[in-house]
Amino acid sequence: MQLTFIDVHVRYPGLDISALNGVNLEINTGERVALVGRNGSGKSTLMLTANGILRPHQGALLLDGRPVRYDRSGLRELRRNVGVVFQNPDDQLFSASVYQDISLGPLNLGLTQAEAHRRVQEVAEFCGLQELLDRPTHALSGGEKTRAALAGVLAMSPRFLFADEVTNSLDPWMRPQVLEILDRLADSGCAVILATHDWALASAWAQRVIWLEGGSVFRQGKPGASSWLT
Amino acid sequence: MRQIDAYAYSNRISKLHPAYKVGASLLALVLCLTLNRPLASLLILALMLGLTIFWAGVSWRFVLTLLLTEGSFLLAGVLGVAISVSTMPDAGGAALGPFWVRSDAASVWLALNLFLRALGSVSAMNFLALTTPILDLIELLRRLRVPEVLVEVMGLTYRFIFILFDSLERMTLAQEVRLGFGNWRSSLRSAALIGTNLFIDAFRRSRILETALQSRAWDGALRVLPRKYNHPFQKCN
Ligand SMILES: Nc1ncnc2c1ncn2[C@@H]1O[C@H](COP(=O)(O)OP(=O)(O)OP(=O)(O)O)[C@@H](O)[C@H]1O
Ligand SMILES: [Mg+2]
Repeated sequence: MQLTFIDVHVRYPGLDISALNGVNLEINTGERVALVGRNGSGKSTLMLTANGILRPHQGALLLDGRPVRYDRSGLRELRRNVGVVFQNPDDQLFSASVYQDISLGPLNLGLTQAEAHRRVQEVAEFCGLQELLDRPTHALSGGEKTRAALAGVLAMSPRFLFADEVTNSLDPWMRPQVLEILDRLADSGCAVILATHDWALASAWAQRVIWLEGGSVFRQGKPGASSWLT
Repeated sequence: MRQIDAYAYSNRISKLHPAYKVGASLLALVLCLTLNRPLASLLILALMLGLTIFWAGVSWRFVLTLLLTEGSFLLAGVLGVAISVSTMPDAGGAALGPFWVRSDAASVWLALNLFLRALGSVSAMNFLALTTPILDLIELLRRLRVPEVLVEVMGLTYRFIFILFDSLERMTLAQEVRLGFGNWRSSLRSAALIGTNLFIDAFRRSRILETALQSRAWDGALRVLPRKYNHPFQKCN
């Protein structure tokens, strides 16, 4: 599968200047991509656009070559395939129970309760949350919250996962654990796009680094390759 | 409050179906109020304490501290029943400055009865609060066909209490390090600032939360799976 941005311009309601300014990008399933760029360069905006929360006022978003439709069923199709994990897990966990929070996505996709339950168990195991399913979300540590938020998105089995600075607030022990989950995810054929300010992490972990600047792609390439410098 | 919440989901019987626990404490409450006998109240008190400490495994120190706190409020309340105070000279009373204080066996007995009754009821409520996660009470309401909107609002409220609690702590600390609560004037100022910011924060968070829900294909109804419970006469699974 392929997610394509063609000359995408995005503007926040009530603002004149565009947060995304002609982004051209192609992302394939199974890729590990790092998204870098200074504060306000448009990383979070790009993620919200990929998921259909923000709609380009110019340009187009294509899923497997077909333009995304912004009606009910079109958006549902997009969100089944493209998931976003927010920077602050507290912004994402709406339910007081981990189990119930993870079950939201699958049920929204129209799965039966039995199927949804199976999905929840699967991702809980994938993210190491089995023991925490009955816990209230406010009684989790930061790293556990991050994994719970991640699980809530993975339960929808997306083909593209955008993770917004999820490793930032994690301690040096928790960080590799979350990265390991992302790695396994990429190995299973999902594209993982990680926004980060950590260049060392970006060049060590990613197969491709995308550098945003002022709302468009400034540079991209394989970290360390000579083409990267030009 | 956080500690009560923590016990509610970590005690030994937290996964028991909430209907049993609600049933038991309501039964105790009704018995306590209708029997109206000191001995019955005492028995119920002992039973509820026993259930909380030995069955649910909540720390006896915490249970007793909680009961003691509530008990001291109750005691202050029934004191007015046990003794009567008036400014009129009273033959059977004792003079205490300008007041006459009197008391007799009947009113002390009445006060004791009232006190034990209230304490028994409170212990039943403590049992419920300490053994049953709020989420389970909400789930029970959902199963009792309380309108879905109400149930959702209760769930979100419970979630937001803790989110805003964290914000409040952060903001208070931020004010304190800037000497915000130094004197009476600046305390008032700081409190007003925190109040405003908390409101803005709650609003901002609800906006982001909505965005996050949308990204998970939410369409207006918060559909979640029901929680799973154990039943006492059935093998745990
Ligand atoms: N909700 C919003 N309303 C209006 N403008 C916004 C909003 N969110 C972001 N912007 C603006 O859009 C631009 C891009 O912001 P964005 O959040 O995408 O940057 P970012 O790369 O994620 O930054 P950071 O590294 O700080 O997270 C910025 O100029 C920002 O001011
Ligand atoms: Mg951002």
